[in-house]
Amino acid sequence: MRRILLTALLLTGASSPAGAHAMLEHASPGAGAVLRVTPKSVVLDLSEALEPAFSSVSVSDAAGRDVSAARMVVSGDTMSIALKPLVPGAYRVTWHAVSVDTHRTQGSYTFVVKP
Amino acid sequence: MFNSSLKPFACALACATLFTMPASAHGILGDRFFPATITSDDPFAADELALPTFSAFRRGDGGPATSEKDYDFEWSKSIAPGFAISFAGGYIDTPSGKGFDNLEITPVAEVIRDPDREFILSAGVSFDIGRSGSRAVADSFTTYTPEVLFGKGFGDLPDDMALLRPFAVTGTLGYAIPGTSVTSRSVEWAGALEYSLLYLQNNVRDQGFGKFVAQLTPIVEFSMETPTGTGGGGTTGTVDPGLLWSGQYEQLGVEAIIPVNRATGRNIGVVAQLHFYIDDMFPDTFGRPLFGGAR
Repeated sequence: MRRILLTALLLTGASSPAGAHAMLEHASPGAGAVLRVTPKSVVLDLSEALEPAFSSVSVSDAAGRDVSAARMVVSGDTMSIALKPLVPGAYRVTWHAVSVDTHRTQGSYTFVVKP
Repeated sequence: MFNSSLKPFACALACATLFTMPASAHGILGDRFFPATITSDDPFAADELALPTFSAFRRGDGGPATSEKDYDFEWSKSIAPGFAISFAGGYIDTPSGKGFDNLEITPVAEVIRDPDREFILSAGVSFDIGRSGSRAVADSFTTYTPEVLFGKGFGDLPDDMALLRPFAVTGTLGYAIPGTSVTSRSVEWAGALEYSLLYLQNNVRDQGFGKFVAQLTPIVEFSMETPTGTGGGGTTGTVDPGLLWSGQYEQLGVEAIIPVNRATGRNIGVVAQLHFYIDDMFPDTFGRPLFGGAR
């Protein structure tokens, strides 16, 4: 039993950094955030390096209108998008990520800007 | 040349190949990650390895309770996107006998995959190959179990129920058909209720969890069997509450095994599992489908 577990753990440690599904590790603003100060951008930190051509992030208001001020920027494992000045209300962040080994992940969340 | 026990398996394999859907992998459906479950099957056809799964409990079987330790493995290999075959087996250790259990082969095909509703429906057939294991502990006959499996995440709940969105359920319903008249046929039903802290953190409300905590999933599984023939006895089964931790390449899980009645067993047992996501560990080789590997 000990040999099996040790072998399994060694396999885990020895697995090559071939890439994996890019999971969201940190977002700013975060999911469900209630903000008094308008954010200038949304920044998403993922667990894997991304393929810029196949990854995307968008921010929309409650009516579904895009509130981004510029094109998305991908740098390594980070996606960011600059925002127009936001009025008080609810906003939705929607992201799709393709890691360098072509695994796809996605997510979405909302944040609120208070007056 | 085919063993007669394997002919139905070959037919199921050929038929399932015709009805597969394109798939991502590894329990990811829309915004949700479904972790691999331990005592019940999950509905995803993916490249995974559960090695080892260790369980210890006292089995009832209607008579004096006997202790049993199982050391199991399960390897699932994707053949085409949305279609995989798993091979499972293990070593059984009881006071009355020890030895290897029968090999169980299960092709599974994902039939419906709805990322927006976080819903998946799959179908499979399990073949417990008689006489492939030790005579001391394993059945001498083959048992065929057609089954349907599903998974549903609750990410589509309305905003005023947002804190319930991290919940998800998975379930299986199968009909075990033993290749002998001595043992009754039975309905096998199992499932899991899970609450994803990762989903809460990333899709509902950032709780400020550290990386380790965010990767935890509290879970309650159940695994039940209801004989349908006369003389087969009543329903037996267990309820298994526990905790899963899912990393990029591996998952650790520990659950208590709680018998639902004396016929199942006495005392609380335990099951622990180390699980590997082969599709992430080896995405260009072992972890991709044999055919049609585009993701």
